[in-house]
Amino acid sequence: MRHSFLVIDDSKLHHQMYRLIFSRGSLAGSTVYFATNGKEGYGLLAAHPELTLVLLDLNMPEMNGLEVLERRRAEALHPHIPIVLVTTEGSVEDEARGRAAGAWEYLRKPFQPADVELLVSRAVAQSATTA
Amino acid sequence: MSRDENPFGELLQDYVLECLPLAEQIADAFVELERQWRDGDPADDLLASLAGRLHTVKGNSAMMGLAPAQEVAHALEDACGLLRRSPERRTDASASLLVAGGELLADLVRNAAPDLDPVPAASFVERVRRWMEAEVSLLPGTLPERRRADRRTGSDAAGSGKVDSVVRVDFRRLDAMLEVLGEGLIQHSALAEAYRGLVRQTGGCDELERLDQAVLALEKTLKRLESTLMDTRLLPISTVFGRFPRMVRDTAEGAGKRVRLVHSGGETPLDKAVLDRLSEPLLHLVSNAIVHGIESPDARRASGKPEEGTLRLDAAPMAGRVVIRLGDDGRGLDELAIRKKAEGLGHEVRSEDAIPLRSLIFLPGLSTADTVSALAGRGVGLDVVAGAIHALGGTIDVATERGKGTTFTLSLPVTLAIVRSLIVEIDHERFAVPLAHVAETVRVEPETIREINHRGVTQWRGDLIHVADGGAMLGTAADRIEPRRFYVVMAAGGRRRGLLVDRLVGHQDVVVKGLDPTLGRPDVVSGTTILGDGRVACIVDAVRILEGGRRAG
Amino acid sequence: MPAEELLGFTDTMEARSAAEAAPAPGPELHLLTFALDREEFGIPVTQVREVIRVADITRVPQAPAHVRGVANLRGRILAVVELRSRLGLAPAELTPRSRVVVVEVRGRVLGLLVDAVSQVTKVPQASVVPAPEEVVSGDAGYVTGVARWQSRLIILLDLEKALLPTE
Repeated sequence: MRHSFLVIDDSKLHHQMYRLIFSRGSLAGSTVYFATNGKEGYGLLAAHPELTLVLLDLNMPEMNGLEVLERRRAEALHPHIPIVLVTTEGSVEDEARGRAAGAWEYLRKPFQPADVELLVSRAVAQSATTA
Repeated sequence: MSRDENPFGELLQDYVLECLPLAEQIADAFVELERQWRDGDPADDLLASLAGRLHTVKGNSAMMGLAPAQEVAHALEDACGLLRRSPERRTDASASLLVAGGELLADLVRNAAPDLDPVPAASFVERVRRWMEAEVSLLPGTLPERRRADRRTGSDAAGSGKVDSVVRVDFRRLDAMLEVLGEGLIQHSALAEAYRGLVRQTGGCDELERLDQAVLALEKTLKRLESTLMDTRLLPISTVFGRFPRMVRDTAEGAGKRVRLVHSGGETPLDKAVLDRLSEPLLHLVSNAIVHGIESPDARRASGKPEEGTLRLDAAPMAGRVVIRLGDDGRGLDELAIRKKAEGLGHEVRSEDAIPLRSLIFLPGLSTADTVSALAGRGVGLDVVAGAIHALGGTIDVATERGKGTTFTLSLPVTLAIVRSLIVEIDHERFAVPLAHVAETVRVEPETIREINHRGVTQWRGDLIHVADGGAMLGTAADRIEPRRFYVVMAAGGRRRGLLVDRLVGHQDVVVKGLDPTLGRPDVVSGTTILGDGRVACIVDAVRILEGGRRAG
Repeated sequence: MPAEELLGFTDTMEARSAAEAAPAPGPELHLLTFALDREEFGIPVTQVREVIRVADITRVPQAPAHVRGVANLRGRILAVVELRSRLGLAPAELTPRSRVVVVEVRGRVLGLLVDAVSQVTKVPQASVVPAPEEVVSGDAGYVTGVARWQSRLIILLDLEKALLPTE
């Protein structure tokens, strides 16, 4: 089954990295959408209810990851799509805050392709049980 | 996955493309912070604006497994955080630390590689750690006071929203595109030639008329494509100017001077190839101005000047060229001393028709101060700077007033018409042969060139080709006793011909300069250029040579 | 041959000057004077940009005979004209006293190869004898006159006519 993903990150370098990750191994053949800021990302999220997983960078100018999560929750947009908050911050308080805003999982940088693959398989398994 | 191999290793170039501009902005911002703190402005906004970029560089470096850059970015992030919370720590010493860190980070990003020496980064991180833990005693007057609300509205445009209509393209791709285009233009010539041949054979007809129109249209399109491509290579001159504030600060500090840099015209566009070759000579000029031009603060005070010297760097487009002016308000050039030194070096300076100052200082051996200064490089003289500017197709001139200052004026072409050439020597004269028309260079073996109908021929790759004497074609020495040692196989539009030369000097990218109308209309040469040694060489018109050319004389 | 006419004319002037009194003061011509063969020539100093030593002059194939070649003047390609051949004299041997006078004529910057540069001189306008009609209209039309000054005979050149005859 082909999965689709959304990457919201202001770093073009990270887009490249995700491209690499989603073109190999078990993730090869996936469809990936890219946004460079929170507003654009929010629009893409709204347009694709079929997304398997969203990778959302925390630190973005204008509308950061937390703000995207909060808006999503306020508007109850696609609550079934798991959103992973990606950041270099690591404190327990930060993580709690993220989850409270609606993040399904937390991905700390630096991460490896395997970390993303693991998150994807967990997300798929989870949706299978809730479906 | 082993620690040694980063999964994103192949993205190293992309990393540099994204993070180097950020790192340089950060470094520049630190220099600006230092200046503002010295002026008593706490610069809250500027400090705050750095957080995001430092964070990005840190994260990216971490993802790429580049630990030194990651750690330095992290340390700077922490330091900036502390400075935001504690304005009383915004001192000269703190600023120095930041500036050093900014430079280091930019270096680490610029030279990013998995196996970098970790020591400089580690030692900087340690410095920051100790600085953060240091006690600061609050003395009256150490709190920077805020001046009138001169809020900076954001020193940088980047960082706030990405403009997706901009793409980053590796410059080598643009070069490759231009090369392919060049081939297209040569092919078009062949097409035009074939068309002319057809017309001669058949006497013309409607179909051929249409062919003519089509070939003409093709040429126009190719030329338009060429100029569009050339435009993509244009960059604002600020990409070179950008490094200067830091460099001026460091050089001035090392030389015990106080100098501020005022620059304008950064948006003036120049071809990247010009910019690449401009930056070093410009840096030397700036360095010279600071080290030799601007006096020490004491000396300046004594002569009624402000202690801080001013360096002005301006760029402006002017009639198809770009004029760059670098002026200082220093001591001016000492004409007498320079003439004396020139004389000592053997140049003739005494007679009335003597070389004016503006030419004198560009002679070899001149303008290097006798004091050794590490900052002024290895005593790079103005002759080297002038040589570099000339090789670009530019000119450099100077105006000076004793006690008031010196101004250098550079005039540069906006783009370079550059031709990759083979430099050959015939009878001690040098010529540039465009490589696009060189199929091969061959060493002459005895007895391989025969004469048929008074013309030389030889076997080359299975074909019989004519071989002409380069000296005869280009009108060098009349009598020639020694046989020439090489021949260059020139090629264009299906024709091949050998050109006998004495020596193959080497390959060079030469900047094409036109032919002065005074020279009449020579057809065996298509232009002139200045070689690396400052001498002028003619550029051979390959197509004419292949058509037989007029005998020189 | 233009040169012969020229030299004939100056010989006459030389003979005449010995017999005449010094000219009166008045408006002056500011000249740069230089030597070609045995003669001294002068051009208005306003046309002179600078004087440089003879560095490498690169020959240009198929250039007109009076063009010696091109040189690098601070990045600018300077065409160097052999004034001697232009004036019908034999081409020069370069000596340590040879110089290139950089001039600007009708917007064009050129170099003149001369045997030696004398000096910048002011001569009274009154000391100038206009060249006779046949010299001016002949092939030597670039001579506008001769200045007799302090036992020197300076042949005044019209550079435009000398360098740009067909334009």
